[in-house]
Amino acid sequence: MTPFPPSLPGSPGFIRLDGVSKSHGRGAGRVAIFSNLSLEIPRGDFVAIMGPSGSGKSTLLNILAGLDPVDAGRVAIDGCDLSAMGEDARAAWRTTTLGIIFQFYNLMPMLTAAENVELPLLLRPLSGRERRERVATVLDLVGLGGWARHHPREMSGGQRQRVGIARAIVTDPALLLCDEPTGDLDRRSAGEALDILGRLNRELGKTIVMVTHDPAAARSARHVLHLDKGAFSPAGPEVLS
Amino acid sequence: MSSLPRQCFVLTRAALAGLPGRLAISLSMVASIALVVAVLIGFLAVAAGLERTLGAGGSREVAVILGGGAFQEIASAIPPDAARSLQADGTAAGIALDDRGRPLLSREIAVPVEATAADGQRRMVALRGMEAAGPRLRPGSSIRTGRLFAPGMREIVIGETLARDLGLDTGSSDAGPKTGSIRRLRLGPVDWAVVGIVAAQGGAADSEIWGDLDLVRAVFDRQGDIQALRVALDGPDGLAALRAALPGATPSPLDAMTEADLLAGQSAPVTRLVALLGWPITLLMAVGASAGALNTMMSSVSERRIEIATLRVLGFSRLATFTATVAEAMALSLAGAVLGAAVALILDGWSTSTLGADGTALVFRLAVTPAGLMKAGTLALAIGVLGGVLPAVAAARLSPLESLKAGP
Repeated sequence: MTPFPPSLPGSPGFIRLDGVSKSHGRGAGRVAIFSNLSLEIPRGDFVAIMGPSGSGKSTLLNILAGLDPVDAGRVAIDGCDLSAMGEDARAAWRTTTLGIIFQFYNLMPMLTAAENVELPLLLRPLSGRERRERVATVLDLVGLGGWARHHPREMSGGQRQRVGIARAIVTDPALLLCDEPTGDLDRRSAGEALDILGRLNRELGKTIVMVTHDPAAARSARHVLHLDKGAFSPAGPEVLS
Repeated sequence: MSSLPRQCFVLTRAALAGLPGRLAISLSMVASIALVVAVLIGFLAVAAGLERTLGAGGSREVAVILGGGAFQEIASAIPPDAARSLQADGTAAGIALDDRGRPLLSREIAVPVEATAADGQRRMVALRGMEAAGPRLRPGSSIRTGRLFAPGMREIVIGETLARDLGLDTGSSDAGPKTGSIRRLRLGPVDWAVVGIVAAQGGAADSEIWGDLDLVRAVFDRQGDIQALRVALDGPDGLAALRAALPGATPSPLDAMTEADLLAGQSAPVTRLVALLGWPITLLMAVGASAGALNTMMSSVSERRIEIATLRVLGFSRLATFTATVAEAMALSLAGAVLGAAVALILDGWSTSTLGADGTALVFRLAVTPAGLMKAGTLALAIGVLGGVLPAVAAARLSPLESLKAGP
């Protein structure tokens, strides 16, 4: 595991943040989250971002997802300048480049596992057969080949998160953003989810950025960044213990 | 299928599948719309029933002559010399002749009288005194059981709806009236023998009692009174000839119109009144139901905000979100419309009564019509649109980021 540098090994970055500033609120209630933040992450890296509550981890993830625009600076992913894109363009970009894994899975309870996984494919010009084949492939990949017709309520937390992972990768995105992916799981389920993320990174070359409070989860990443008081710092042993 | 319909389908399916989780508030929306629909169909059924009763059987070959500028018999008076003059004129006045060469004309009077109904309550009914030609001048009516009253006898025939209401008609063809004066009915100071039941296919005669003109006038001390003259026209030009003959028949102002025009003129104000009362009441209720629908759909959007936000993050469009919310509102409205229509259909054909223009009981059947169902269904869907559009806009404008931050 490599501690934090401003430019991770392998840069020029697949993900680039140049002088990014972000604040919440307006007027006198305006609170700066970070100011002039820069970072480069190379393609194929697996980066965990840790930090205390309120440090801006989730805000950073939302910025990388194109959900939250920056106040200043430039955000570029795989050569696309998100700062210069409008909301609709960012939404379209998300469907091709990005998979998001949520802490609470965010599955549609009335849809089966396969139907949940199929959702991002509905936005693409694929035939029903093509969609079903892709869904079956990714469900097998996360070890849920036999659970395609089950609803989320019939599954454990770990299985639901694996459905969430399958939904995130079904469009074969280059980048996976994970928001506390193990935050709602027991130790064993968390280990299974992290194992899948590790394999996606190692075997399929997915670039993964994971926000987590869990040191054990952070240890599964190649690099760990510690975000505090609006700036990155190397994650020392006390953070990872 | 292109992407947008698929998105709409998935989002609509998600919204509808979540209904059991919002059962109480969704049912309240369905129930309030059902109430509006049932009330509107009910009002329209009353109007249609009255229209059918008042307007049924109107003939263009029979004319009714009223006096004094009246449009109702109760307010009409015809001088006796007018009747005599028209009888003398015959075909010259456009009146058809019977097979014995006599003008087909009936002098008539309608007397409001009290009768005791099967439930023991006393109600006002119309006793019509007419001449022998009177029944023949009502082509839409016929004797269903028994026979016609005999001239000079204290005998009556009763419309079948009124007879049922008064407990005098068992509905069987071998009931009392068929064989004569088995049943008696007290009208005014004397008993009358019920000798027949008249069927008028839902027309006004179903609510009337017919008797001999001279007997009716004698019993109720109305000797010499004539309220209406009913004549058979001798052809398409008969009405014009009749109208031309009226000024020569009497100095009093008289007017003649076909039976069809008379009944249409009588029914129009009544049905218009029912509609005038019904629509404002229903529309007021619809405003309330729309507010309820708005509340329900806002609640739905609030409960589904994580789902909506997640799908928006995945790339689903605002339009799909909007469409799905409107579709949910329309589905609930449709359920309300079906429920309301089902309740209202139970009332179809129910017999009820109201007071006619002469203060007598007018018995009619509620008539749920396809047009009424369509109007109520359209109103229900309009409520759905009104209640669904604002929440749909809210759903489409919902910030995925803020919703996801707020958490489950």
